[in-house]
Amino acid sequence: MSIFDLTISPSQIEFILKPGITITQAYEITNNSNQEISLNTEVLPFLPQGNNGSVVYANLSQNPNILFSLNNSDLALGQPFTIAGHTKKQIVLKIKTSANTSLSDYYSTFFVYQNQNLSNNESTFAQANGKIGSHILLSVANQENPKALGQIEKFSITPKIKDIFFTPINFSAQVQNQTNYFFKTSGQITITKDNKTIKELKLDSQNVLANYYRRLICQDQNICTISPPLWPGKYIATLSFDSNLNIKSTSVSFFVLPISPLLFLILTVGIIFILKRSRKYW
Amino acid sequence: MTNKIFIFLFFLCLIFPINIVAQSFTSPSYQIQWGNFNMTGGKKTSATFILTDSVGQNTPGKFTNTGFVIKSGFQYAYDLYQPFSFKIDNLDLDFGHLVPQVGSTQTNIITITTPSSHGYDILSSENHPLLTSNFSTTIPDTTCDNGTCNQSTSAVWTDSTKYGFGFNAIGINSSGVVTDIGTSNFFIDDTYYRQFANLQASETPQVFMSETKPVKDHSAKITYKINISPYQSSGFYQNSINFIAIPKY
Repeated sequence: MSIFDLTISPSQIEFILKPGITITQAYEITNNSNQEISLNTEVLPFLPQGNNGSVVYANLSQNPNILFSLNNSDLALGQPFTIAGHTKKQIVLKIKTSANTSLSDYYSTFFVYQNQNLSNNESTFAQANGKIGSHILLSVANQENPKALGQIEKFSITPKIKDIFFTPINFSAQVQNQTNYFFKTSGQITITKDNKTIKELKLDSQNVLANYYRRLICQDQNICTISPPLWPGKYIATLSFDSNLNIKSTSVSFFVLPISPLLFLILTVGIIFILKRSRKYW
Repeated sequence: MTNKIFIFLFFLCLIFPINIVAQSFTSPSYQIQWGNFNMTGGKKTSATFILTDSVGQNTPGKFTNTGFVIKSGFQYAYDLYQPFSFKIDNLDLDFGHLVPQVGSTQTNIITITTPSSHGYDILSSENHPLLTSNFSTTIPDTTCDNGTCNQSTSAVWTDSTKYGFGFNAIGINSSGVVTDIGTSNFFIDDTYYRQFANLQASETPQVFMSETKPVKDHSAKITYKINISPYQSSGFYQNSINFIAIPKY
């Protein structure tokens, strides 16, 4: 039984560089299985897809001003190689930008994949193959920190009116990058009541790619959320970002009402009333 | 005078030689004469200090040129210097001899571990539908019971008179118990199947397992199913299935 079990490190690289610059990046490929594996390498450009960090490889052609090659003396990009079981191999990727490269972001994935080896078995057979990738986010710029600019596309709360107990309040937010360079989200959702901060939810640091959008998540949470119980009243949730991102903050309000205690009270009074009335008839 | 000093220094070096330590690698077929040995890089912390460093990389760190500043060097990426792992426990899916109108299945398990602050996507594709070695006959990809499933949409496939090839993926825990984690958005349960994206027909690989949070050893059981009609030509059908694991950016 053959196995694919690979680790690639780093899982993503991010560089800001000037046009005409060449950089190298070493990747460590680990074969975690006890079997030798035949592998190959390639770099494919990608486009962002959806709002949660997914990508799509739609047969895009690589920008001719950015050349990828391997710096290993014994290996070229696209050349098969083997890694023995439980061993590692360092692959050094060279990224060369020409002086004519447009100032913008370029996104690719460095892939290490298994060479296809169809069986000659006398049976109906499907041969599975593995492929593992590491993203390359390349900003070609003439300054170290390209200016960030974005806007909050969506900031909503569900439910807008809720009980003091039971279900949590969920915050959903999406931010749009309005520049040609990716930035990392950094900010918080601040929940206030009567101008007093009740809770602060730190945003997770996520890449928002150039001229694209991303749904925000909070640190250590998949969805930004606050759990009950909450005192009744009007609350204001403010989504704000660090000042260097140049994103205007947005606020929305929600109401917490003592619905369940009121229902309990009404139910109790109702039961007492019915009991009293029924006693009269008995 | 200068000559005397030079001769004195020359003899001094001969009498007290200094060992110079250099790095080189040789084999019968090659010798590495350039150096780019990435020994370490990143953030080291203790109770009293935080240190970021780059050891062994060419031109590490910030450097300037004609008034511009460029970031390079791997210490700037220390938050991302965490491994990304992907495992497929069985690559050889032997269906043996197929019996018409009896679904033949094979399974394997895929497992993924992602770096902190990254989720993942796993995509699937096939080089072509199951095909005989003389390229004359195929087993078509399934369209499921109601003809509604394709490479990006799953549907129920339990009818033994609906023929084709497809797969199901269900998240499981380390004990093999179904959790549906990572796969619930793509397969409602184990009766749901879909096609592999057919690269020969220029279809793009499709995501069938995904999470937005970092994970450690999250697994899914993949079930491959073939059901052929009584009129399917006999022969040995084969293809290649590709699983692609990528982190969320």
